[in-house]
Amino acid sequence: MARFFFEFKQDKASSTPVTMIRLIRVSKTFDGGRSYAVKDLSLDVDEGKTLVLLGSSGCGKTTTLKMINRLIEPTNGTIEVDGQDVASQDPVLLRRKIGYVFQEIGLFPHMTIERNVGIVLELLGWDKSRRCVRAHQLLELMGLDPGVFADRYLDELSGGQQQRVGVARALAADPDYLLMDEPFGALDALTRDALQQELLSLKKRLKKTIIFVTHDIFEAITLSDRIAILHKGKLEQVGTKEEVLNSPESEFVTELFSKPAKQLAAFKRVT
Amino acid sequence: MLTGISTGTAIVLAVPMGILASRVARLRGPLLGVIGILQTIPSLAMLAILLALTGKIGALPAIIALALYALLPIVRNTLTGIQGVSPAALEAARGIGMTDRQQLWKVKIPLALPVIVAGIRTAAVTGVGIATLSAFIGAGGLGQFINRGLALSNTNLILLGAIPAALLALVVDFATGAMGWSLESCRHRHLPKRLQAVLRTSAFLLPFFIALGGVIAYMSGAGITPVSSFSSPTGDQRPRAKVVIASKNFTEQLILGELMAQLIQERTELTVERRFNLGGTMICHGAIVNGDVDMYAEYTGTGLTTILRREVLSDPDEVFRVVAREYRNRFDIEWLQSFGFNNTYAITVRERDAQMHGWEKISDLIASAPNLRAGFTSEFMERPDGYPGLRKAYGLSFGEVRDLDPALMYEALAKEEVDVICAFATDGRIAAYKLKLLLDNRDFFPPYQAAPIVRKEVLKSHPEIREALAPLSGLLNDATMQGLNYKVDGKKRSPRDVAREFLKSHNLLNED
Repeated sequence: MARFFFEFKQDKASSTPVTMIRLIRVSKTFDGGRSYAVKDLSLDVDEGKTLVLLGSSGCGKTTTLKMINRLIEPTNGTIEVDGQDVASQDPVLLRRKIGYVFQEIGLFPHMTIERNVGIVLELLGWDKSRRCVRAHQLLELMGLDPGVFADRYLDELSGGQQQRVGVARALAADPDYLLMDEPFGALDALTRDALQQELLSLKKRLKKTIIFVTHDIFEAITLSDRIAILHKGKLEQVGTKEEVLNSPESEFVTELFSKPAKQLAAFKRVT
Repeated sequence: MLTGISTGTAIVLAVPMGILASRVARLRGPLLGVIGILQTIPSLAMLAILLALTGKIGALPAIIALALYALLPIVRNTLTGIQGVSPAALEAARGIGMTDRQQLWKVKIPLALPVIVAGIRTAAVTGVGIATLSAFIGAGGLGQFINRGLALSNTNLILLGAIPAALLALVVDFATGAMGWSLESCRHRHLPKRLQAVLRTSAFLLPFFIALGGVIAYMSGAGITPVSSFSSPTGDQRPRAKVVIASKNFTEQLILGELMAQLIQERTELTVERRFNLGGTMICHGAIVNGDVDMYAEYTGTGLTTILRREVLSDPDEVFRVVAREYRNRFDIEWLQSFGFNNTYAITVRERDAQMHGWEKISDLIASAPNLRAGFTSEFMERPDGYPGLRKAYGLSFGEVRDLDPALMYEALAKEEVDVICAFATDGRIAAYKLKLLLDNRDFFPPYQAAPIVRKEVLKSHPEIREALAPLSGLLNDATMQGLNYKVDGKKRSPRDVAREFLKSHNLLNED
């Protein structure tokens, strides 16, 4: 199965990291400059790596994510994907090239699961049989038996199953990048955990560039290659988990990890 | 059929309006406001307005009216449906790269569809109800039976129209519901595939079949009842010249219409199309002026005061001369010889009340008027030779005045629901219900000689009409007309039969 995905891509193996997504001094205000949801943010995301945007509600992480595929337009600054300014591309075509997984899942209740998974392919003009084949592959990849699930409708699936379908949909057109907006936030802790593990194994096989938004510190640590910590629209620190945990660059970062660190220490003492 | 076409038109107009409204917030208020106002116009008024605007009677104004009424439920439901689509689905649709149009057709409309269909169902069902009213302006359909039944006080006829209309409403509701069901793919998941396909196609097409059936029924409905049929005396298949005869919506008019129609059929080569039971003088006049109908029986007094809006005159011959001259000059309409009776308005009371109070003439009522309840037709309430003029001429002011349907007012008087009505002097029910006509001692009411009026153009191309109708001139005096009216109102016979019997008894018809 993993081989199938490799066949789809040209081999992108290279020794030096190639920047795939760049945010250059991006700002966003919704009220004409009185306040900024995102202020002067600069970030790089390397090819095949997972960057987690971590912060609490209102810190601007979802806004930032949505600016990458132009669901929201930045007030200032530039965003480059594959070296090209996104502002110069047709937003609709841009979005079809980028996989997006929504917090509220956002599947279409009037379509079968099969059609839901293949919807981007439908937009790209693939014919029905190719779409079906691909949809079935993805369902299998996500651990959902196509024989059972392909013809079902949304209301017959549990939350966890629905979000798996959401991920399948995002992967259908084999995009290079995946944007994930707190995708497991609406699920219970056990399901969340299972899906995080699945995502980790997918990461290894698929080598996609992922930007993942969350407020959950443990999720950030589990899934990330690098973490970008946002607070009130500004970037506090970006680095690997070791870097941010051991060399916090601001009060906020220190505070952020102190509580879970204590909890972890307490947990370790017990076991 | 009326419902089918109008609802279809409304759908084509309304759904895009609703979609537009969902996108342009500024439009919403004004759009819904305008359509809402249309909705509040009472159906009869709407039909009358459209009649005036389009200048036509029949199906066209009815269809326009029905389409206008169908707009509100459909637009509003389209708007509500689209606004009610889950925001999560909408965001996802945008986020995965659908264009606006794709979002509309692949997500918004399918998800809004149940609500939109509910709106269409509402529109269709209420359309059936309103459609029955359109018989008022000659649009035919089931409403004809209801109208005729009302005019003739014939409950069976009313039910003949009302019950099928009610059933039709149920059928339409079911059919549009089925159509909606067929469009929602997620509802049929438990059915085997082939059965699904069959059921869905048939459910979707159901309303179309019903509409088609409606059209066929409408067209041939002409053949079901005698009063609106085409008829050709010699059975010749060549297309014949046709004359359209109208009548107002009370018994005497139906009889006169039948007399004229049967005579023309018998004595000329023309075919006759009957457009009877039109709702009142103004509608008949409008129809003949713009050529929708060719002739009907009018009353000189009515022509003088209501159409020509002139001062009341008392001398019957003078009234006739004036009316004939003015109609010829202004409307190109000819008045033929009068039938011979004077169907004047007559203030009427119960006989026993008259005896008790010694009422003989109208001015006898002045003293008791504040204690009396009057019931007048809507037309009488508005005409210069009606209640407004009566009040001035006699100083009469009744305690209570109500609008009554002309077919029902005699019974209302007899049953003591009102004390005074303004009857038609030749109505058959006056004797039957023991009512008394009061003398018009101040000569307020003009004479109302009845005569056929015909469009000049038609008379020129078919002068034989004049000759065909000539025997009727002077043939009906007050008593005779009253007798004929009674046969229909009192004995519940059809105007057509009564007319035929009368003509035969005067050797004007061959045995057929």
